[in-house]
Amino acid sequence: MNKIREPVWRFLLPSFLFVGVFSLYPIFESFRLSLYRMILTLPWLGQKFVGLENYSDLVTDPVALRSFGTSLLFVAVTTPVEVLLGLGMALALNETFRGRGWLRAVVLIPWAVPTVVTSQMWRFIFNDRYGVFNYLLFGDATQLYWAPLAEPGLALMAIMVADIWKTSAFAALIILAGLQGIPGELYEAAGIDGAGAWQKFRHITWPLIRPALLLALLFRTIDALKVFDLVFVMTQGGPADATNVLQFYGYKKSFAEGMIGYGSAIAVAVFLVSLALALVYIRVLGTGLLRKERAA
Amino acid sequence: MPKFLIPAILFSLFFSSRAPAQTELRFVTWTSESAKVWAEIIADFEAAHPGVKVVQEVGPSSSTEFHDLVTQKLRNRDPQMDVFFMDVVWPAEFAAAGWALPLDNFFPPAEQKQFLDAPILANRYGGHIYGVPVFVDAGMLYYRKDLLEKYGFAPPRAWPELVQQAKTILARERDPYLTGYSAQFKQYEGLICNMMEFILSNGATLWDERSMRSTLQHADAKEAVRFVRDEIVGAIAHRGVLAYQESESLALFTQGRAIFHRNWPYAWEVANDARQSKIAGRVGVMPLPAFPGHKSASTLGGWQLAISRFSRRPELAWQFVQFMTSSAMQKRISLSMGRAPARAALYRDPEILRRYPQFESQYQTLVRAVPRPRTPVYLPLANIMQRYFSSAIALRDSDIDGLARSAARDMDRVLDLLRDRSAR
Repeated sequence: MNKIREPVWRFLLPSFLFVGVFSLYPIFESFRLSLYRMILTLPWLGQKFVGLENYSDLVTDPVALRSFGTSLLFVAVTTPVEVLLGLGMALALNETFRGRGWLRAVVLIPWAVPTVVTSQMWRFIFNDRYGVFNYLLFGDATQLYWAPLAEPGLALMAIMVADIWKTSAFAALIILAGLQGIPGELYEAAGIDGAGAWQKFRHITWPLIRPALLLALLFRTIDALKVFDLVFVMTQGGPADATNVLQFYGYKKSFAEGMIGYGSAIAVAVFLVSLALALVYIRVLGTGLLRKERAA
Repeated sequence: MPKFLIPAILFSLFFSSRAPAQTELRFVTWTSESAKVWAEIIADFEAAHPGVKVVQEVGPSSSTEFHDLVTQKLRNRDPQMDVFFMDVVWPAEFAAAGWALPLDNFFPPAEQKQFLDAPILANRYGGHIYGVPVFVDAGMLYYRKDLLEKYGFAPPRAWPELVQQAKTILARERDPYLTGYSAQFKQYEGLICNMMEFILSNGATLWDERSMRSTLQHADAKEAVRFVRDEIVGAIAHRGVLAYQESESLALFTQGRAIFHRNWPYAWEVANDARQSKIAGRVGVMPLPAFPGHKSASTLGGWQLAISRFSRRPELAWQFVQFMTSSAMQKRISLSMGRAPARAALYRDPEILRRYPQFESQYQTLVRAVPRPRTPVYLPLANIMQRYFSSAIALRDSDIDGLARSAARDMDRVLDLLRDRSAR
């Protein structure tokens, strides 16, 4: 027995090392730093251990609480829309038609473009004087033009639109992989039994792609919770702090203001919320998978 | 990945790492409106220093975003950055954090005297000097000379007068493209510069440097903020200004779509360049207005060259800084870009004055420009103020009293961090 196990460990070691160095160590280090008061621009204050003070500050910081609300709103809107759009795209791309391979590649373009470029593009689209958005809406009647990025009530929506445009393709990719795993015989058999398109979807496609859907949901939720680059380029958190998502606030604290302790506390908070959501999803996803195994 | 790729990559890495026979000097700068001039000046420096190659790393032109780039390198003690641009509000922070190299040995007081006082003062912290000013900035009011003349208006000296003139012109011109005022009201550093000018020209301040308390909740400061919300944003300006930085606001003005425009001195050159401006020759410039009974105030801006403490070649870096800030180069930068030079003597230079007669009158504004308070915690304070100003002016029914109170409380908490030092 031992003789078999030993080489297995040797093979696993590189991946453990990788996870340890690039995932566990930074998380541990962020947590450690979050217990200190450390301000880079005031080096004479030193690195003072303050226990959970940064966390107690965090839960009473109105800006942080509002940022957290903004982040949750962003997740709540973008994730379901992206997964639904992704589902639609995946279903369409799974059909056989001329130019399918070409279209599959095209659909991925928004996702493949670097987010900074996407953000800059959407900033131009939403420009209040020469943006395409206004032109499509109002044509030459420039006195009616809106400034979505200047309105506290619209700026977050503008960022949501950019995010949905960009990442629906990613959801589609995962769901498409799930669709392709469904054996064609099932549909054939259902066809012979006289099932229509809706019944095929309802009783074959839907139950079999649920794990892929949940996976897409999981990835999108965590990513949306960590949205940063769109905000950084499009609004810098404004106007009236309306797009100041938690991740951006944490970045400002750590990297602009040099408040390493407090910034780390925010990073840890974002991590814990992601982890909690991931655990919830995995529970749901896991039970789904278990049920299917029993059925098989 | 095909198998041959890995050795190929290793091979190229190995050889690229031993390639440079030249000395490299890395200069972190931002996107310039005259990239060509910079490239020429750098080429001249290289020609004068054989074997030296200056590598430009170009960052974002927004001060807020550029700060993040530079501080990231400094925090990581990146020896790759030798010389960098420093905004006029950063020296205290960079000095306190030990990021900027003190230049006392290179840049003695006798040499400092050649420059305008305000930017030199801004580069001093704790008895040392940390940067050499390249150009100075101060907020100016640009206006459409032709439109004001058409309606018989003299350039406005008071803010309410400016609003009144804009309203009259807008009502009579009936031009749907025209707006009254264009400036920088996005939530970023430029917002503080703009709002500070309104607040100071109403006899108030951002904070009291002696008592180290915020003064934003004082009645005069709030009155100025309320004026911007009610009379400027969404009144004579369109709400798009809430997303504008310098370039967007200037573009609106040069397209002939704004009557008044607040910007730094460089806007003169752009607005009068017929290739990029529809209003060339129809532009006037003057000090910013004030509220009745108070004095006009301009925010001091400007950029300095500083040397990273982690540079491996501080001597060479200094030679580069010295070259870039020499009288000849400042003159060249000034002539080609319309930037206000930092050396005092250049304001009496006949060639510059012939090309930019406005510098003679702007000189007084530049000399009197008010620096933003010097403190190593400027960034935390600035973020609180950006949030406050943006919230106060972007929402039509904002609770300015409440917002000012909580902003002042937050600022006082940050300022308290500095008290710890005096207590020690």
